[in-house]
Amino acid sequence: MSTDVRIPLSYRIPWKKIVLYVLAVGFALYLVLPFYWIVAMSFMHEVDAISVPPHWVPTHPTLENYLGFVRPNAAQELVGGRAVSETPYSLRNSLVVATATAVLNLALATFAAYSFSRLKFRGSQVLLVLYLLTRMVPGIAIIIPFYLLMRSFGLLDTYLALILSYTTFALPITIWILKDFFRSVPRELEEAARVDRCGWFRTMWTVFLPVAAPGLVAAAVFAFMTAWNEFMFALFLTSTKAAKTIPVVAANFATDFNTQFTVMAAAGVLAVVPPLLLALLFQRKLVQGMAAGSVKG
Amino acid sequence: MVAFAERRPLGDNAKAWALNAPAIAVIALLVAYPIGYSFYVSLQKNNLKRPRAKRFIGFDNYKALLSDQAFLSALKVSALFVLVVLGLTVVLALILALVLNERFRGRGLLLSLALLPWAMPGVVNGLMWRTIFDAKTGALNGLLQQLGLIESYHAWLTSGTGAFLFTALAQVWNTLPFSVIILLAGLSTIPSELYDAATVDRAGAWRRFTEVTVPWLLHPLLIVLILETMNAFRAFDTIYVLTGGGPGDATTTIALLDVQTVLTFTDFGLGSAYAWVITAITLLISVGYIGLLYRKGNFEV
Repeated sequence: MSTDVRIPLSYRIPWKKIVLYVLAVGFALYLVLPFYWIVAMSFMHEVDAISVPPHWVPTHPTLENYLGFVRPNAAQELVGGRAVSETPYSLRNSLVVATATAVLNLALATFAAYSFSRLKFRGSQVLLVLYLLTRMVPGIAIIIPFYLLMRSFGLLDTYLALILSYTTFALPITIWILKDFFRSVPRELEEAARVDRCGWFRTMWTVFLPVAAPGLVAAAVFAFMTAWNEFMFALFLTSTKAAKTIPVVAANFATDFNTQFTVMAAAGVLAVVPPLLLALLFQRKLVQGMAAGSVKG
Repeated sequence: MVAFAERRPLGDNAKAWALNAPAIAVIALLVAYPIGYSFYVSLQKNNLKRPRAKRFIGFDNYKALLSDQAFLSALKVSALFVLVVLGLTVVLALILALVLNERFRGRGLLLSLALLPWAMPGVVNGLMWRTIFDAKTGALNGLLQQLGLIESYHAWLTSGTGAFLFTALAQVWNTLPFSVIILLAGLSTIPSELYDAATVDRAGAWRRFTEVTVPWLLHPLLIVLILETMNAFRAFDTIYVLTGGGPGDATTTIALLDVQTVLTFTDFGLGSAYAWVITAITLLISVGYIGLLYRKGNFEV
């Protein structure tokens, strides 16, 4: 009888798998727990949220923190009431500004991106680099003259000032994303339309753009998210609920020492839901765009 | 086909520039002009609260920077911030990208989760970490105490070093996904034959990593380094909400100092000088970035 007890190959401890799953679970917790905490807190009563040791799940879940935004009560009015009552307006403002930015971006970028994907022209390389360079310009470098410019036009605290600035932020990215998508549209489509004697605009509208639609959606989502998340320009350019966007109001919660953490958490969750939904819905296209352009600076 | 390819190159030129005209016009008006104008303002004594004292002073604002303690301190904080954030981001992003490059159950879910911090506005990121790091009720204190790692609650953000490190951690969480995506895209281009060949050569996991993965990843890694340097250098939203630059000036980065100078002290002249220093440094970094893209040949149009 042999004493040689050899472990069959299939019984070997799968170290690689173990390490992989430990890392994967670790990262998943790291990515999700901080966010889980503010979501959980936004459904808690103040007493539960600040208890020691903390309640990790809302034991007495409540919608009070969210409902407070639409009908501010007297108690909240005392502690940081302004930010609370401004929250619904700021959500509307953010929605309008971000949507308008996305639309304006598409209108401007489609033409430019088409030229890079279809035409050979002198200076195209330089122009593409110039677009990329404007993306590298730090917002802080242009905010002062931009503020003075908008002040002299009487545009402070208006949607237009924000839409204009966010359009320039997002334009280089959208051009880069669209240029790559447009190249993958087969040329034969346009040539067929040309044979049918369609003019250029009609060819674009009825043949080219419908085929390139996924790219247009990805670019629009990028532009929307850029506008929705931006904070510094909104801080300079807005001052009342007429134009304040959600990041500005959310920051007001943070700088006000009286704010209840539960209400602040609810405002934070509201601010993150639209971009998060978009990111998850258009995950694949966004990842492609990010990787292809590497231009989100 | 030949006739089509040779069709009037001049016509194409004119058409292309016409197509780009609207985008160029917007960018020229809203980026190029303001940059030029901000340089002009930086040569002025220009405080909005004292309009009468406004006058041209040449490079005096810049000369003053050399002995401006607030500026020098902010520059130091920014440099350190970049180093810490960059180091942590690159290491974490590389590990996460390597994990995501493997096949396992739940990979798709992990990738979706990785997009969560990316979608989060910087301001909300600041709010979130503020509730977590809070001295009296924060989740971090609660967690560490329940795990038995600390006896009593700590005020993480009251010491200069603590505030600096925890702000850097908050920033890393926010910017990690972007680096992960770029590195993951780089990893997916490595031909699997290379790994097969290395396995045939009996190369262990570590040798496969250093001899196949790292050389192929060099280019995306450099892109990550440059873009994240730029990101960390102009980081503003998270810091503004989390610490507001404090305690003292421990987390006052150059971007924060600039905004304070302009919004609180309404000193547009000095603020513009700060802004131009930031622009110059950013420009240097981006020249490196574009040179890199060129060398790789990413720019064929």
